[in-house]
Amino acid sequence: MPHLDLALLVCAALVALGIVTSLLSLRFGAPLLLVFLGVGLAAGEDGLGGIRFDDAHLVYTICSIALAVVLFDAGFETRWQSYRVAARPALVLATVGVLVTTAVFAYAARLVLGFDWPHALLLGAMVSSTDAAAVFFLLRVGGAVVRDRVRSTLEIESGTNDPMAIFLTTALLSFVATRSEIGGWHLVLEFGREMGLGSVLGLAGGWAIAALLRRLPLERALVPLLATSLALCLFAATNMLGGSGYLAIYLAGLVVGNLRINEGVALRRFQGAFTWLGQIVMFITLGLFATPSEFVGLLGESLVLAAVLVLVARPLAAALCLFPFGFSRDETLLTGWVGLRGAVSLLLAILPLLAGVEHARTMFNVTFEIVFVSLLVQGWTLLPVARRLRQVVPARSGPVERSALDMPGLDGHELVCYRIAEHSPIAAGATLPRWSRPSLVVRRGESMRIREAGPLQVGDLVYLIVTEDRIALLDRIFAATRRPEKSDRQFFGDFALAPDVTLSDIAASYGVAVPLRDSGLTVSEALAREFDSAPTVGDRLRLGKVELIVRDVGNDGRVAEVGLALKP
Amino acid sequence: MQIIDLLAPGRVVADAPAGNKKKLLEQLARLLDDSGNGAWERDILDSLVRREKLGSTGLGGGVAIPHGRSATLDRAVGAFVRLKDAVEFDAVDGKPVDLVFALVVPEHFTDQHLLFLAELAEMFSDAPLCAALRQARDSHALFDALAGWKERNAAA
Repeated sequence: MPHLDLALLVCAALVALGIVTSLLSLRFGAPLLLVFLGVGLAAGEDGLGGIRFDDAHLVYTICSIALAVVLFDAGFETRWQSYRVAARPALVLATVGVLVTTAVFAYAARLVLGFDWPHALLLGAMVSSTDAAAVFFLLRVGGAVVRDRVRSTLEIESGTNDPMAIFLTTALLSFVATRSEIGGWHLVLEFGREMGLGSVLGLAGGWAIAALLRRLPLERALVPLLATSLALCLFAATNMLGGSGYLAIYLAGLVVGNLRINEGVALRRFQGAFTWLGQIVMFITLGLFATPSEFVGLLGESLVLAAVLVLVARPLAAALCLFPFGFSRDETLLTGWVGLRGAVSLLLAILPLLAGVEHARTMFNVTFEIVFVSLLVQGWTLLPVARRLRQVVPARSGPVERSALDMPGLDGHELVCYRIAEHSPIAAGATLPRWSRPSLVVRRGESMRIREAGPLQVGDLVYLIVTEDRIALLDRIFAATRRPEKSDRQFFGDFALAPDVTLSDIAASYGVAVPLRDSGLTVSEALAREFDSAPTVGDRLRLGKVELIVRDVGNDGRVAEVGLALKP
Repeated sequence: MQIIDLLAPGRVVADAPAGNKKKLLEQLARLLDDSGNGAWERDILDSLVRREKLGSTGLGGGVAIPHGRSATLDRAVGAFVRLKDAVEFDAVDGKPVDLVFALVVPEHFTDQHLLFLAELAEMFSDAPLCAALRQARDSHALFDALAGWKERNAAA
């Protein structure tokens, strides 16, 4: 047993060390994944730890499972919405883009390393895909958010180009290893089968997992475990049937993440932690496996090739692929810059070692150095570059804290907390619209209901349970320094209505159903009745698929102006 | 169905003279009449005028989206006009309007009607689009700017 304990001690200590050193990353802004890689390197044979670890087979196994977990989460965290925005450019980048990157890079590799075409292309294929974990993490780091179109494109691309790069690498590798002629048609068929099976099984599997999670009355803690183990089953089964397991598990994650399931919040949290573990394990293992003393001999070549990849191949692929979709110059430049390479490239670089082909060690070392440079240079500069290219959404003030609720009947609701700031309209005595009344007020550590609290004071914490789409409106009440302007259409509705318009007029114009006995009421009467004769600015009354909003109240307490919001 | 499917190049007009709100609505009704024989014009104008009586469809910022439902129509139709001189429209911010997108739908288009309007409202909140529409050279350029908006800007 002492042997086992030692192994456990080393592994657990490395993971713990990786996590603790991640604080460095926050302090210095160094890309986090690089820190994990560094921990692995430091513990390895040339570093402080001096651990010899050369089992390529084991590394490959560990990393493919970890990658599957990461891809499941990448799918899980991608909204359909993103697909609606960016599916086409992203998928072109993930297919054509991979080919362009491979070809351009291979041309350079031939010149720099003196490889023949098959080897050069093989090396190109390894570094052709962007890393889902790195892209997802870096696009959200530091609370800044990259604009939707570019972010969605990059996220979908990073999740879907791995299967493509893996296919390309395996195909080229089998050619290099056996030198057997591969017919073009054979390759196309093979590609069709892998991706076709992967897509069908992934989508169907994801749907089945979601259906199962919804039906089974499971212990809460077991839900995420079941989801993940089923996803890994799907991964393995698809691989066994000759499909792309990576594509399947990514798509399954996409389906499960976008369908409503029980314990969705718990699953999300677990996924988060599990993916972190996957990334840490992957990068530390790869760091351990590498032998940095071998890097020195190839440093010059690797740097040149990294420069070609970062400055030529990727930007060229981005420009070619995005041109038909009308991306602006800045959007294309940023997409080209965020070509982060990561664990997938390293994982693929192990394959030639396993197959024992010529130049295998060189290819692994060059790939390692390129990944290092990519994470360092692109990872470190991503945010400044994105700012420079004006692709960062300015931060808005919002709730102090928000948390999705996982309670019966509260699907889609969140608990949000705001702190009443000085100079906020509320602190100055503005009245609260009905729908924004806090469920709970905490004043100097004591919780009370709004009725007991009276007017809100600076420093009060207010808690509300609301649907997600209301949060942007609440921000205007609790987090803004000014009252919402009349021209703020999200808050006050798009169109104006005269207060003496009757509900039947609205019914006729918009086809919304109004109870017969109410149809003679005017808008202002309806609002007065709903809000006990004291409507306040911002109060909202739902009428089928439209909402009436109080825009202004006269001195007599009657509604003077009404807005109409469409809620199709 | 997309917003752009509602338009046809012939229903996008640059630098139209309008005069006043009433004349503008009449002009829009003429444009929107897609029946081929002028059969719809009367009803379309009625539906637009009826809607304006409930409150101005001016969104502010020089944009208005007059709209209506009419039992005579068998399909949804849209028209876009950029005015040479802005017209008083009783908009919420009191500013006269120069960019006008008009929409009429058949009586049974209830949900689709609201979807169109919500998308139009979002579209015309986009300052770069409004700027592009104000700078467009001619009606072709206007059409292209409107057609390309979704592709360029979807939810960005």
